[in-house]
Amino acid sequence: MVRLTINGKLVQAAEGEMLLSVIRREKIDIPALCHHEAVEPYGACRLCMVEITRPEWDGWANFVTSCLYPVEENLIVSTHSPKVIELRKTIVDLFLACHPNTPEIIQLAADYGVTHTSYEEVPEPDDCILCGLCTRICETMGFKAISAVGRGHGKEIAPPLGEAPPDCVGCLACAQNCPTHFIKFSDRNGVRRIWEKDFELMACSRCGRKTITREFAESLSAGRDIPMEYFEICDDCHRMETSRTMGRIANWSREVQP
Amino acid sequence: MTYRFTVNPDVCIGCRTCELACAFAHAVAGKPGVSRIYPLDGGFKELWVPVVCLQCEEAACVKSCLVDALKRNPETGAIELNQEKCVRCMACIAACPFGCSLLDRQHNQVVKCDLCGGDPVCAHFCPTKALQYKPIEAGKVKVSA
Repeated sequence: MVRLTINGKLVQAAEGEMLLSVIRREKIDIPALCHHEAVEPYGACRLCMVEITRPEWDGWANFVTSCLYPVEENLIVSTHSPKVIELRKTIVDLFLACHPNTPEIIQLAADYGVTHTSYEEVPEPDDCILCGLCTRICETMGFKAISAVGRGHGKEIAPPLGEAPPDCVGCLACAQNCPTHFIKFSDRNGVRRIWEKDFELMACSRCGRKTITREFAESLSAGRDIPMEYFEICDDCHRMETSRTMGRIANWSREVQP
Repeated sequence: MTYRFTVNPDVCIGCRTCELACAFAHAVAGKPGVSRIYPLDGGFKELWVPVVCLQCEEAACVKSCLVDALKRNPETGAIELNQEKCVRCMACIAACPFGCSLLDRQHNQVVKCDLCGGDPVCAHFCPTKALQYKPIEAGKVKVSA
């Protein structure tokens, strides 16, 4: 166990835990766009910056991204000191210059009192903040279908060679977790389209409801040893089937022991 | 695990109190949440089956989770979903052969029965004791008829 001080409160944390996890557990609200518990911390958005100091530092302080900073004994952390707020304001100001039309960024900037960027807006803004959360989640799930391509101004998230990604199974984890909802998809007429690739959605053999792509079901079935027939019925019909089977057993036991 | 959650459709009267209790126990921001328990009749007359997660020994939901968000709590024996870790790929919903991994459409998240952390509220409210949470005596595991 490690003991540290966050905003004047003494808290305990496990060895090796990152500062952001401890801060969130203490119910202190600090923004973070690129963070997700399922993946390794990355420190792309810089919004989770906090001020740290130690008693022996003689009043000197440092600013670190809390998602990447492991807890230390006797560390003194401030999440909302005037200097951190000023720093975070600069970061959202820069974000606003790059993504002036993104609702999530506009809201975040407004929370910090920034309504207009003090920098020059980029000529053709889009909603992707290049945080890499989608690629990290895809990699953690074992598909590695998308990645960051290019560098500098030309950097973007894309499938290999800009074509339909061969390893994508259409699970939508990237789109579901995109902090700015930049990744678009559509489910129409039993076809899911994401990253310019079409997927067949499996229809429930009872009611016809479509829930999962055949590619995703097949990859789970093969990789995780789950029978393919589990995926052929939707969850509603599965519950109906469970009640029917259990009902049959209950009925039978009533007949045997009236 | 010293307690076991039992479902006995034989004495269930289909009052759906468990569903109500579950929705209120899992309320979000003061509003009733999604019930994790479904009393269904299975097409039979005068017979109800409360369909709820039975915390499978070798669970398909745990196997299907590619980010290890579903873990068994060793104290209660329940398979619990770590909402922070869940990437909402909905694999567990499609994989569960009993249909007990559910989608909360309002909040766009996956929910499942976690035995209320070791004190299932539905069992407290069941008027006929069709749902029970009872201790297992060592060597005396009896399957009720």
